[in-house]
Amino acid sequence: MATNVDNSPAVTSGSWVQPAARPPYLRRRLDAAPFRIGVIGTLAIAVLGPVGLIVYQSFLDGPFFSPRSQLSLDAYRYILSDPSFYEALGTTVLFAFGMVAVAVPLGSILAFLLTRTDIKAKKLLEILVLMPMFISSIVLAFGYTVAIGPSGFVSIFFRETIGFVPWNLYSLGGLIAIAGLSHVPHVYLYVSSAMRNLPSDLEEAARSTGAGIWRVSRDVTLPMVLPALVFAASLNILLGFETFGIPLVLGDPNGIMVLTTYIYKLTTLFGVPTYQLMAVVAMVLVLITLPLVYFQRRILRHSRRYAALGGKGGRTTSLKLGRGGQVLALSLIGLWLFVAVVLPIGGITLRAFVDAWGQGVNLMDHLTLANFDNLMSVPSLFRGILNTVLLSVVGGAIAVLIYLLVGLAGHRNTGLSNTVLDYIVLLPRALPGLVIGLAFFWVFLFVPLLTPLRPTLVSLFVAYVVVGLSYGLRLLQGTLIQVGPELEEAARTTGATLGRTWRDIVIPIVRPGLVGAWALIMIIFLREYATGVYLMSSGTEVIGSLMVSLLQTGAMDTIAALAFISILLTAGGLTLALRLGAKVHD
Amino acid sequence: MTELVVNNVQKWLGGLQILKGASFTASRGAIVALLGASGSGKTTLLRCIAGLEQPEFGYIRIGDKVALDSDKKIALAPEQRNIGLVFQSYALWPHRTVKENVGYGLKLRGVNAADAGVKVQTILDRMGLGHLADRYPSQLSGGQQQRVAICRALVYEPRVLLLDEPLSNLDAKLREEARYWIRKLILDLEICAILVTHDQTEALAAADHILLLKDGRIVQEGPPHDIYSNPNSFYAADFLGANNVARGNLTTLDGTRATIGGEGWSLDGTARELQGLAPAASAQAVIRVEQISVSDSPGPHRIEMQLDDSLYLGDRWEYRLRRGSFNVKAHGTRKLSPGAVWCEFPPESVWVFPASSQA
Repeated sequence: MATNVDNSPAVTSGSWVQPAARPPYLRRRLDAAPFRIGVIGTLAIAVLGPVGLIVYQSFLDGPFFSPRSQLSLDAYRYILSDPSFYEALGTTVLFAFGMVAVAVPLGSILAFLLTRTDIKAKKLLEILVLMPMFISSIVLAFGYTVAIGPSGFVSIFFRETIGFVPWNLYSLGGLIAIAGLSHVPHVYLYVSSAMRNLPSDLEEAARSTGAGIWRVSRDVTLPMVLPALVFAASLNILLGFETFGIPLVLGDPNGIMVLTTYIYKLTTLFGVPTYQLMAVVAMVLVLITLPLVYFQRRILRHSRRYAALGGKGGRTTSLKLGRGGQVLALSLIGLWLFVAVVLPIGGITLRAFVDAWGQGVNLMDHLTLANFDNLMSVPSLFRGILNTVLLSVVGGAIAVLIYLLVGLAGHRNTGLSNTVLDYIVLLPRALPGLVIGLAFFWVFLFVPLLTPLRPTLVSLFVAYVVVGLSYGLRLLQGTLIQVGPELEEAARTTGATLGRTWRDIVIPIVRPGLVGAWALIMIIFLREYATGVYLMSSGTEVIGSLMVSLLQTGAMDTIAALAFISILLTAGGLTLALRLGAKVHD
Repeated sequence: MTELVVNNVQKWLGGLQILKGASFTASRGAIVALLGASGSGKTTLLRCIAGLEQPEFGYIRIGDKVALDSDKKIALAPEQRNIGLVFQSYALWPHRTVKENVGYGLKLRGVNAADAGVKVQTILDRMGLGHLADRYPSQLSGGQQQRVAICRALVYEPRVLLLDEPLSNLDAKLREEARYWIRKLILDLEICAILVTHDQTEALAAADHILLLKDGRIVQEGPPHDIYSNPNSFYAADFLGANNVARGNLTTLDGTRATIGGEGWSLDGTARELQGLAPAASAQAVIRVEQISVSDSPGPHRIEMQLDDSLYLGDRWEYRLRRGSFNVKAHGTRKLSPGAVWCEFPPESVWVFPASSQA
């Protein structure tokens, strides 16, 4: 029988001591602190090291490894007085906002049609509209060149039939249109998930008070999805600042430069590498993108609050489109799909199998497999394909394990190290792949113990892990958070340490999610091209970066063959991801 | 034999103190219930004992192991405390079969597979779950899941079994049965068990000792019968049972004999909390519904009241009675027609408290 004890320390029960202030208290214990701090610390070094190197390099007057280099602001002075820098900056701003103007309205319309109406073939369309997101933008850009560039298949067709080509792909307008159309999925993804979470009883409530459908859309639906719209817009501005492939392929022929291509051009401007100038432009880019990333994070928190308010399981009734509506909606989506997917992919496919084309040329006479011969006979090209597959399949799997370790280190971590993790993850999002690749190139070039790793795939892999960090970690954290806390607590009270709990309970439960994450990371690594631009050397070629360097030589046959292989690999990866039940929509 | 000592456990959440010095002990073969409304701190206290929450101050001993001692800076992790915890949601691991769920604690304790298999099968058989050993939790009913959860927490013979609202996810009929067999099991196995519940019936029926919590404090403790029939505060009196509350003024006070009255009515009663009780000051009385009897003639401690309606409750009738501002519910065995009746309030059942009674 329970009784009160009088011989135990402190006070006897029955009298409650109300201390004037909080007593000297026990420090909260952080489970597995060495593991968590070790992992997050390592990650911090992997991210902050290269970034720190860029910052340091930007304040020198020569390469950081040269003993003669001194602290100076010369590089800033040079860049900030270079008219082509301002031209590139202005073009970048126009480009980014232009992209938003194209992508946000289109993506929102797509999201609305696919989530709130009874449009036909919804299941298929939901996957098709995401396609451009999975294809490397260097491949897409090349596809547009061969389809609707000045001597593209479609352009030639127009010239033959109406005598002129009614568009100019190699203009800022062309650039914006193409980039905007291919970034529609990024908008669609966020807006559609906001619309899906919107319970239709809110709309029904408005309609039952007498508001018409358009009025409801304006007064109820729009304000509810506004955070998602703002988020998508800011994401597109961010991507606009970071895009490299499209401006490189489509802007360069007419000398249109954005900040990323400006950095790339600096490499060869003086004959010798001008590291300090590249570092300064990278700094300018980061100073623009970092606030954007921070801003996005705040909206995302806001919009989560909105979603929680709306409540889960909100029943959604679809708007009936009717016959005319169906035709109109489907042709709109069809037209967009034609421009954003069919044109570039069709162009590449055709280009990869012909050796000549032009006015009056019958393509059927020029069908050939010769373009692929090079891929087998030139060792660097063959290695590039092999490396790409290796990096995405094996590297992707290892990357998922690394993200899992980082995810666990942050899992139910209430300590300071979690705040550190939160902020570390922001950095890679603000950095274009080109800049991350450049920073890691420097690290592997001049950090003594790491130099032997530079000509190996390890250097590329580490850079890829950092590039994919925020996306991969979000995937993993989303999976981990689905394990109910009491499942873990039950293991602890049964006698399992935290490590055992992770091994026996958490990881087995999230295993299906890990497989899905692997497939998605694989696609991300497949399409990556900018990171390898500087890191690539003999032995570490990858398809995307090979295409970038081949562009300089104009070896279009080979590029077409590589682009075709890249599309095949992506299609394979996507099929696998869908098979494995990856949540492409998250 | 005392298995659990909890002394002056205090916990803050930011600037808010959610446990204000809880102390109690518990021994083998007995069930202690932590009873309280939501937000009273009962689940927090249980989680502090389990080590899932860490109090800033206090002392906890489980078996012969000190699990928490803020003076000596000791705070054991949950897995070092040798406890069993049954969760409200059962928290069965979905990727493990019943057998694997139950056997996990034995595996962690290094019991060899053959012995563990026997032990798991024995306890499952005992609970009537033997034939379900190879099923997954999702293939079981709620009641079966709950029994598996209890098996899992018991099989490695922990020093203390902690139950967090174990019955709240069962339907009413199942709950009454579970209440009975859980109590029987704990007494048979002579385990020390702590039961958290917000359901007074559950606490009264299943526990040997009840701790009533309010705002992070234990406001009263004792055996169920004592808690029910000897409340020492208005809160305790009102929290348990089905009650009538009369608010008025104290007219006379003589020792513990007190009279409370209002507009047109007056009741003789017993003062249960003397502090703050003074003649002419406002006061309130708690009268359990079952203590009031209704008859058609006057007598000692009876007052005339107006019967408004009789409601049929199946096994009894409920009377709605009124006199001035004084409204009363009472029970009886037959339907009465509206009109004047006489209600008897035994003075020992009219518990008078000061109106400002807090604790």
